[in-house]
Amino acid sequence: MTDPTLIRNFSIIAHIDHGKSTLADRVLQLTHTIEDRDMVEQVLDSMDIERERGITIKAQAVRVLYTADDGVEYTLNLIDTPGHVDFTYEVSRSLQACEGAVLVVDATQGVEAQTVANAIMAMNAHLEIIPLINKIDLPSADPERVRHEIEEALAIPADEAVLASGKTGEGVREALEAVVRHVPHPVGDPHAPLKALIFDSYFDAYRGVVALIRVIDGHIAAGMKVRLMAAGTVTDVEEVGVRRPVHVPVEQLGVGEVGYLVTGLKDTSLVKVGDTVTAAKHGAVEPLPGYREVKPMVYTGLFPIDGDQYPELRDALDKLRLNDPSVIYEPESSHALGFGFRCGFLGLLHMEIIKERLEREFDLDLLATAPSVEYHVFKTNGEMLSIHSPQDMPEPGTIDRIEEPYLKVTVLVPPEFVGAIMELTELHRATFVNMQYLSATTVEMHYEMPLSELIMDFFDQLKSRTRGYASLDYEVMDYRASALVKLDVLLAGKAVDALSFIVHKDKAFARGKMLTEKLRGIIPRQMFEVPIQAAIGGKIIARETVRAMRKDVIAKCYGGDISRKRKLLEKQKKGKKRMKQVGTIEVPQEAFMAILKVDD
Amino acid sequence: MTDAIAPASGAGTSPEPVSLYVHVPFCVSKCAYCDFYSQAGGAELQSPFVDAALFEAGHWSHYDLLDDVPTLYIGGGTPTLLGDGLVRLVRGLLETANVRRGAEITVETNPETTDAALVAKLLEAGVTRFSLGVQSFDDDVLKTLGRCHDAGKAREAARILRDSGAPFSIDLICGVPGQTTASWDATLEEAVRCGARHLSVYPLSVEEGTPLEASIAAGSLPTPDPDTAADMMLAAEVALTAAGMPRYEVASYAQPGHEARHNLVYWTGGSYLGVGPHAASMLTSEQFLRVAEGEGWSLPADGTHVPARVRFTREVSLGDYLRRPLDAPVPFESLNAAEAAREDAMLGLRLASGITSSQAAAAGVLETLAELHEQGLVRVRKSAGGEAVWATTEQGWLLGNRVFGAIWNAGQPPRP
Repeated sequence: MTDPTLIRNFSIIAHIDHGKSTLADRVLQLTHTIEDRDMVEQVLDSMDIERERGITIKAQAVRVLYTADDGVEYTLNLIDTPGHVDFTYEVSRSLQACEGAVLVVDATQGVEAQTVANAIMAMNAHLEIIPLINKIDLPSADPERVRHEIEEALAIPADEAVLASGKTGEGVREALEAVVRHVPHPVGDPHAPLKALIFDSYFDAYRGVVALIRVIDGHIAAGMKVRLMAAGTVTDVEEVGVRRPVHVPVEQLGVGEVGYLVTGLKDTSLVKVGDTVTAAKHGAVEPLPGYREVKPMVYTGLFPIDGDQYPELRDALDKLRLNDPSVIYEPESSHALGFGFRCGFLGLLHMEIIKERLEREFDLDLLATAPSVEYHVFKTNGEMLSIHSPQDMPEPGTIDRIEEPYLKVTVLVPPEFVGAIMELTELHRATFVNMQYLSATTVEMHYEMPLSELIMDFFDQLKSRTRGYASLDYEVMDYRASALVKLDVLLAGKAVDALSFIVHKDKAFARGKMLTEKLRGIIPRQMFEVPIQAAIGGKIIARETVRAMRKDVIAKCYGGDISRKRKLLEKQKKGKKRMKQVGTIEVPQEAFMAILKVDD
Repeated sequence: MTDAIAPASGAGTSPEPVSLYVHVPFCVSKCAYCDFYSQAGGAELQSPFVDAALFEAGHWSHYDLLDDVPTLYIGGGTPTLLGDGLVRLVRGLLETANVRRGAEITVETNPETTDAALVAKLLEAGVTRFSLGVQSFDDDVLKTLGRCHDAGKAREAARILRDSGAPFSIDLICGVPGQTTASWDATLEEAVRCGARHLSVYPLSVEEGTPLEASIAAGSLPTPDPDTAADMMLAAEVALTAAGMPRYEVASYAQPGHEARHNLVYWTGGSYLGVGPHAASMLTSEQFLRVAEGEGWSLPADGTHVPARVRFTREVSLGDYLRRPLDAPVPFESLNAAEAAREDAMLGLRLASGITSSQAAAAGVLETLAELHEQGLVRVRKSAGGEAVWATTEQGWLLGNRVFGAIWNAGQPPRP
């Protein structure tokens, strides 16, 4: 066990793209945790998707040994957290495992929405915050302005902010010195019953579920029997250890230590992020505070393009869920798309990532329908239904009212774009709450807005209307009644259930018209004319037509052309494979997402 | 040559018919839509090219592949740009290859290089037919296509050919950006009047990397409208049928007896050898194995695939071809018996004569044909012998890729 006074547990937090993972790489190199020759970029982001997209999805913990200027060797536990608003709860749990946080702010971008959101989360977790201004090697770096913004916007004294560059390594040692000096060492009772916080878990094919934990009180050792208090799971501790970042088993983990716990369990849903580990016998009475069940925010239908792959999709979801218990799914069947699953995700990024992982890691070709939120439908008979899919919406006559989730939305933007934000938010049914100038260059605007509008291309629009300067953060607020209707889309006279969506009454006409126009461009010409109609409760509100295809022939076909032509036909067929056959109509995948790209 | 005696090619075996194609990769200038392998100019390379082509043809003859040549086609490029070199090429080929008595010997030409004296010399050398690249009798359309001749020159070339007495074909392109139906109708009318006995009518296809594609992408030309092309294809069928040149292939019309025999070899699974850079060849597997053994080509070591026919192309630049005509790598592609049967069925449906039920059954496409029949893309009739014959309908011609694609892809696992 390590002497708690020599331990520093800290996290690096930042707005996306401010250089968090690169900075973590430099820490690993400086402390010789990883030798230069073994270094890859974004060491802690082990998934391909994380590296390709330059984002962190899973939390990670790594132990590094650092000999400080005072000549003492400290044990630093660096906990890398996801950087996206979809994973807010996971981040909050990771922060709970720390005593300090290095708040990274890009020297060219300054304070952004998630800088604020993360800083507030760190403050709520009572962490010591060490501001670090990153990317000072860039010619457009303006550390003075950023220092000022940190003080203005976050009320964090920044005169001692570390100036650093993850790229050159400058300032990284200073950052670690600041961690050693300013971050309090962990305090706990080594003689009290075990209390350890689970801040992440994942599934290892050979070892079962592995949890990342932080010991608060007592100690944990291999061979112990432990209980996970919220889930009620009892299991043996097969092994405990630390990550450097390879797994190194240790005899036990004591107060303040961060490490991993091999449970041998096969079901990740039994090992929940935020849960408390205690001894099975004579364990703690009270769990650590802050645990909650993670609830999906957005829902989508996932259907295999090739209907025969339904069992494969089910297996893939079962396996993926082992690594990510926040994904929920239930079978869904659609007249248009056949058998698939209605899946719930933490947010749009999470949804995209899971779809991509399913396709990549399990070699599936999937079609996703437009995401929806969870509506609360109150029927005239007093019954309340939770609806995740427009298909499940009851008959309009039986509905008393529909409530939808609302968000508190925060937008940070330079003052010249305030007008653009006002305009955009109005289009998305947002209610203005207030705004304040954080500095001469940053305005913070607060809105209340339906989640269903946020997932309607809001983020892309926000970025494009502000030339990328605006940043966004949100949290769930409550459910509110709205005048919502279900809009159906008919192709060749037949309603295609997978194209239905729920929309505010006042927007239904415009969106129906836009969508039919959009679909006319997306649906290729077929051998017959295809009318596209939008309807509410049987009443047609918009109509477009895809004219019949008249010519599709490459006439030239001589000696050398024959192979070429055949290959072309094969390619054409492959193109068709990516389309979904709905009745007799070939519909490209993007048609099912078209509603999201309808600009008002 | 017409009196040539069949050489003794192995005791007792009759010579195998293999058609011969020679690719002449020279043009006066590149047209805007063309993605064929050819280069503008290069006068100093033309004579060496004739030498190289004759050398290559001579090489093939060692494999007994040129002992019975039913058709010879010299295409391009613009073969007539070679002038007297072309006459030398024709004579040389006829010495090297045993071209069948009454064989079809076609030379491709373009208006700017069609010269009465040259035509006479070619006919004297043995050429039996010309194919003239007119494309349009409308100056504006010719300009859009980037042709280096005007309509006047095309008319003059057609007159030279007609006066020579040799049958000739002309090529026309429809669906050109900016081309009007009036312009197309006038071009068709002139094509009928000019004395051609064979017409090839193509809807324009915009090929990758061509100047035409670039102009369309840049917006200086409108995207070709497929509906207009469809109207024009229909207009061609009506006008040419009325003029006594019925359609016999999706893009080919001819007076009866003047169908392009060389092209029919392509469309009916016959063997052919290509000479020249980027010329394609197709041989039966027996013929190919003979060649591969002699050339030391290694075959794919896949025991599951028993080839029935093999196609290969010498992918070589003109410069390399001239230095060492035989050294270039020859990527090949082999089809097994089922694939070959399907390919024949697909090509058979490009022909007005269609395919018989037994041919369709052998290719395993009867079910697919029934589906296409339901969609109105093929029809079925009884042949004189009482067997059912499947052929492409009017709508099927226009949606040819649907028909051909369905037939070719019929061998792959069915879609759910």
